[in-house]
Amino acid sequence: MAILQRPLNTLAAAALLGLGLTVSLPSQALPISSCLAPADPGGGWDFTCRSVGKLLHDLGLVDSPVQVVNMPGGVGAVAFSNVAGKRADDSDLIVATSTVGITQIAQGRYPGDVDTMRWLGMLGTDVGVVLVDDDSPYQTLDDLLEALVDDPSSVVMAGSSGIGGWDHIRALMLAKAAGLSSDQIGGVRWVQFDGGGPAVTQMMGGHVDAVSTDLGEIAGFIQSGDVRVLAVLADEPLAPPFDDLPTAVSQGYDVTGYNWRGFYTGGEVSDADYQSMVDTLKSLYDSPEWKQVAEHNGLVPLWRGGDEFTGFVRDTAEQVESISREIGVIQ
Amino acid sequence: MDILAFLIQGFAVAIEPQNLFLALVGCTIGTLIGALPGLGPVNGVALLIPLAFNFGLSPTAALILLVSVYYGTMYGGRISSIVLNIPGDEPAMMTTLDGYPMALKGRGGEALGLSAVASFVGATIATIGLTLFAPLLVGFAIRFGPAEYFALFMLAFATIGGVTSGSYTKSFIAACLGLLLGTVGLDPASGISRYTFGWYELYDGVDFIAALVGLFAISECLVFLEDTRRSNPVGQQLGSAVPGMKRARQCAPTIARGSLIGFIAGVLPGAGASLGSFLAYTLEKRWLGRKGDFGNGDPRGVAAPEAGNNAAAGGALIPMLSLGIPGSGTTAILLALLLSMNITPGPLLFDQQPDMVWGLVAALFIGNIMLLILNVPLVGLFARVLRAPTWLLMPVVMLVAFVGVYSLNNSAFDLYVMLAFGVLGYVLRKLEIPTVPVVLGLLLGGQMEFNLRRAMAISGGDWSILFGSGISIGIYVFAIALILAGMLYSWWLERSGER
Amino acid sequence: MISQESEKPSQPPALGDRIAGAVLAVLALAAWWYSHTFVTGFLQPVGPGVFPRLVCVPLGVLSIYLLCRPGINQRWPKGAVLLRQLGLLVLLGGYAGFLEPWGFLPSTLLCSVLLIRLFDASWRQALISGAVLTIVLYLLFEFALGIPLPDIPMLSD
Repeated sequence: MAILQRPLNTLAAAALLGLGLTVSLPSQALPISSCLAPADPGGGWDFTCRSVGKLLHDLGLVDSPVQVVNMPGGVGAVAFSNVAGKRADDSDLIVATSTVGITQIAQGRYPGDVDTMRWLGMLGTDVGVVLVDDDSPYQTLDDLLEALVDDPSSVVMAGSSGIGGWDHIRALMLAKAAGLSSDQIGGVRWVQFDGGGPAVTQMMGGHVDAVSTDLGEIAGFIQSGDVRVLAVLADEPLAPPFDDLPTAVSQGYDVTGYNWRGFYTGGEVSDADYQSMVDTLKSLYDSPEWKQVAEHNGLVPLWRGGDEFTGFVRDTAEQVESISREIGVIQ
Repeated sequence: MDILAFLIQGFAVAIEPQNLFLALVGCTIGTLIGALPGLGPVNGVALLIPLAFNFGLSPTAALILLVSVYYGTMYGGRISSIVLNIPGDEPAMMTTLDGYPMALKGRGGEALGLSAVASFVGATIATIGLTLFAPLLVGFAIRFGPAEYFALFMLAFATIGGVTSGSYTKSFIAACLGLLLGTVGLDPASGISRYTFGWYELYDGVDFIAALVGLFAISECLVFLEDTRRSNPVGQQLGSAVPGMKRARQCAPTIARGSLIGFIAGVLPGAGASLGSFLAYTLEKRWLGRKGDFGNGDPRGVAAPEAGNNAAAGGALIPMLSLGIPGSGTTAILLALLLSMNITPGPLLFDQQPDMVWGLVAALFIGNIMLLILNVPLVGLFARVLRAPTWLLMPVVMLVAFVGVYSLNNSAFDLYVMLAFGVLGYVLRKLEIPTVPVVLGLLLGGQMEFNLRRAMAISGGDWSILFGSGISIGIYVFAIALILAGMLYSWWLERSGER
Repeated sequence: MISQESEKPSQPPALGDRIAGAVLAVLALAAWWYSHTFVTGFLQPVGPGVFPRLVCVPLGVLSIYLLCRPGINQRWPKGAVLLRQLGLLVLLGGYAGFLEPWGFLPSTLLCSVLLIRLFDASWRQALISGAVLTIVLYLLFEFALGIPLPDIPMLSD
């Protein structure tokens, strides 16, 4: 993994350095030049960085292409701690995050809390899905949840988050809605894979029974017909081509599980720089190109930015914390 | 035969003069970057991605340029492995084992040539496999669950005793040390930090390249200091870059076997290219037994891992393209490339964008051919570099390694890690404990552990899941057979050594 | 290991291996003990401490075996050689430490000159090649490869 590209005014700096002088340049708002994806290439955070980074350049919002840096580890904790420790005042850096990241923060698994970072904005939201292999015995969500309530250890579920992560919590919320009692909820088997794609692949190989993850990461498998979607965790049916997927709500389980995609930056970025970054992202959101990219990948375009977004992140963190307590993931 | 038509079309595009020129430029730049210790494919590709966009290249042309750079850096890594005993990236590590001894014997040019030929053949075999059997192999790959992957890693570590000629005990100690070092950092499953002792820089684990460069480059430099008046041991001659007919005949079966092993490892997305080159080397060593002279400059010790590595990289394209899962660091870079061009690999890619798939395959092929040709002038160039006096060569290598490692994370901490591993590497050398298993433990330990934990999560804590399928039992039986064969072999060696 | 085939293993089998065996056995024991501090608040069949412990077992056993039945070692460095090697480590460690606070150019110039001197070149050779090397490296990384090096003296961490 490499952290690349921090364009500084190298020529001037070099000239001064040659003389052995110590200088500090006045801070200036730099255009966004790199996007940190706290995951391996191919996942949701990586997609967020790459699509947004490319669009920023295509739309002329930044002068040079945005460098995408992958920094996997600790479900984003490694990137979080790196930014907090080393790049807290880098005003040219944005970091991809999502509900998954907020879940981690809410459960105290990042070295820091919500206020460690400055929250820039969200650009769209992904929707949770519960799916099984196309030749699975579970035909409907009812089938799956009945089996789960009957014997929690009879179904092996998988997703891209660890125990207590967003994928896991969403699955457990469904089980709870189906009537699984709190003391049995810990008996549901949960396997973490490196992403939604590997989880679905392992399910196709018969190693796990059902997957709870985001639609965007695995849309290709749905379109190719390799898997059967039992429920999407949205209030309303999705836009085409996913409009025929049943929602959990329509099947009598009042559970929704969105996973928005957005960005944060270091906590020591100045107000002016912060505002200019928020504005840049807002311009991106307003473009028709972003709507197209988002919809093409199963994301619903949705904007919250600046202070509004920060407040929203705080609320989400509190919600997740209380859900986690309720289902016994944290004490 | 739609596939064939697309493939031919891909090649037709790839051999347009502009694209051939791009391949040449990419391979040359890549080779030069890759030959610098500490710099690898990530640097090369990262350097050229913006360039490809700025020039407004067509997707195919951009792909050819980037793939050539990528191949170039891989090949450049071989050059420093063979000529300086300093691997540029992890698959190149296996090449040091016999490549450097070959160079010491004045056959460095041949080792370089052989490396290019074996790479080419390995990649070709993988391409043929990809073209003919992709759907079939996807079906095979998904039958590997966590328990099966764990078995595969057990196999890798069972064969580790055969890596170098040293004692089995010492090889296994080195592997365990690597595995233990590999657990340092944040545990992804629980978010708990392990063995970091409050050092925040270690949350990310031990930086792999820093460890590799330390173990090989810094310790090599410490060895050099034992006698600075000694001239460069590789000498001033690299010899001919073209392996002769006799050598070709000798290595052909090795290359074929190495390619097959590498290809299988590559198709399994959880295994990866480095496992491919590693298994190709150790299994070939066992296969040849006394007929081989591995570790002392046997050309087949260069051919096997090189063929295995490139076949694995080719095989890894199958899960990468058809499932969207990057099996190794190498394919992760290619996946990033495709994504940056708005191509999303997945189950529909073969149907919806066959031109891209086969364009990529053609690009990989052209890159390989280009390297084969470039090899001849490059060997001359590097022979000239070696003529530099030791007092200049070693400091240059040191400083490039230093700055290269620093630039990975812009972190001085990585430099201290590198120095610590340099001292460790030197001490291990003196103790005759091989360093290669340390790196392998560091490299493979994470996946090994997580597949174990996944398997146990599936079974709910029942360890019998590890032996629950025909595939895993088969792998364990094979591993045990290899260990027994190895013990018998080393017992027999000791007996015959006493005479 | 490889570049050393001219030197015969000279020490009697023992001391180095015994010390290494002891050190590694202690390491395995310490790592085993320390892994019990890796506690998660929720149930996992195999938690974060299990794999390190699984590795510690063979490491410990093999280390004790090495302690009891040592093999051969290469000749250990002594006197001037050892001093020179320590010099290299101190020099490189100092370079790592000064790279960021001083910036790339001055620290690299100093380090490369001393490094070349360490390899027995004359002062003249060292000064000239050190300067050229520093500039070439700077141009290579900063401009050709586009990898920024520390130029403005910043915070030391």
